[in-house]
Amino acid sequence: MIDARGLSKRYGDLAAVDDVSFSIGKGEIVGFLGPNGAGKTTTMRMITGFLPPTDGTAVVAGHDIFDDPIAARGAIGYLPETPPLYPEMTVTSYLDFVARIKGVARKQRRDSVDRAMERTDLTGVNRQVIGTLSKGFRQRVGLAQAIVHDPPVLILDEPTAGLDPLQIREIRALIAELTAPGAAQNTVILSTHIMAEVDAICRRVILINRGRKVVDAPLEELTADGTTLEEIFARHTSRDAADLEPDEPAEEAAS
Amino acid sequence: MKQIGSIAGRELRSMFVSPIAYGVMSLFSILAGVFFILDVAWFNEMLMRMQQYQAFDELAQWNLNDSLIGEFYGSMSVVLMFLIPGITMGLYASEKSNGTEELLLTSPLTIWDIVLGKFLAGAVFVTLLTLLVGMFPGLLFAYGDPEVGKTMSGLLGILLVGWTYVAIGGFASSITRNQIIAFLVSFVVLLTLLLLPAVADFGVAGSAPAVAEVLRYLSAAIHFEQLLKGLVDTADLAYFAVMIGVFLLLTKASVESVRWR
Repeated sequence: MIDARGLSKRYGDLAAVDDVSFSIGKGEIVGFLGPNGAGKTTTMRMITGFLPPTDGTAVVAGHDIFDDPIAARGAIGYLPETPPLYPEMTVTSYLDFVARIKGVARKQRRDSVDRAMERTDLTGVNRQVIGTLSKGFRQRVGLAQAIVHDPPVLILDEPTAGLDPLQIREIRALIAELTAPGAAQNTVILSTHIMAEVDAICRRVILINRGRKVVDAPLEELTADGTTLEEIFARHTSRDAADLEPDEPAEEAAS
Repeated sequence: MKQIGSIAGRELRSMFVSPIAYGVMSLFSILAGVFFILDVAWFNEMLMRMQQYQAFDELAQWNLNDSLIGEFYGSMSVVLMFLIPGITMGLYASEKSNGTEELLLTSPLTIWDIVLGKFLAGAVFVTLLTLLVGMFPGLLFAYGDPEVGKTMSGLLGILLVGWTYVAIGGFASSITRNQIIAFLVSFVVLLTLLLLPAVADFGVAGSAPAVAEVLRYLSAAIHFEQLLKGLVDTADLAYFAVMIGVFLLLTKASVESVRWR
């Protein structure tokens, strides 16, 4: 469903994302890990069409993001790091607007909005103005906005960042429910740096560090020998590991 | 292009669920009322003096359209210069500060859907303001006999000036995430446009007549005056169309530029 082919994003000499490739099949739920600034958000933004890659491309649900950007974007439900909300709108009118711009037909729009609110437990606040909602509820509206058009692919960028422990548990349960086998949105990329989240939801892990993919394996395989995700994360992202990267000697020579 | 209505509809709904739209419209009506009363009072005062001094030549020139409605329209176009930047300052800047820019640009929309939808929302609002302006000369038809054609062409002038200001204000909003900066940039651009004829007449007319001619052509005021005189010329209409088109193109490039960075 998602094919990243050599995705790269360079800003001048700095490579934010460097030749990242992966292929995610239907029904896979992938944890996208990495320290802050590793390039997780940039990679997701390239797949969702917000930023064009400097090099490489991605194919989403059979649509190339360069050749057929409108169809590719239509196949994705995307929750950015800060949920994209209009504070002055009510939950219902906001979701109706999102359904419209995502191309949901007029007749189905009402049903789509109702179902999205049901699935995210928002029905009780449907007439409330978004600006008056708590952070946890706003995050739910963000999730509802991502699923309102029943996209085959879901991309969630740190969906639990900034929430309190109770809200985290709720949102996590919600994501697990939304992406359960048999649900429409069962192909998911979820970025996070919380290991427990990956344990709870994902079945495969892609770890990136300094813009490069360093690990891509099923969760079971990684933890089969008893190592925890934390250890794997630390091993691949610590300064020591970074110092061993081949581009390091060149920098030493320069200094 | 199918989604222009979705964008425009959301934009208008947001204006009308907040007090901004109502505030702007009330303020605008009050100002229009004040200007209108002053213009009527001045009109009567001058009329009386001319009769007193038996200035029949001047009296023959004196009519409702040029001496009252035209003055009133002129004042209202200046009021629009202050109000429209306030309406357009949030069009794009607020999308950036809300993070909703990311929603729009990752939805199956074209950039033109966004740019034209937002322009349409602003244009609809300005059309409402123009109707408010039109009510006042409408009153004069009950008590006098202004020319219908001139009254309408002047109103068309207000409408076109307003739409042009919306295109300019939208562009200013698209280059920043700060609404105050958007307001100031559009205000300065509009003020410059207003001052161009004066610059042309007093600054460069003697030394470089060709430059003066270009500056005069660029000013909205010159073309607006033609419409106030009742002259609906395609050259003047083309000016407004070109200005709107150019600023919409610039806005499109500016919105798209997020993707180049």
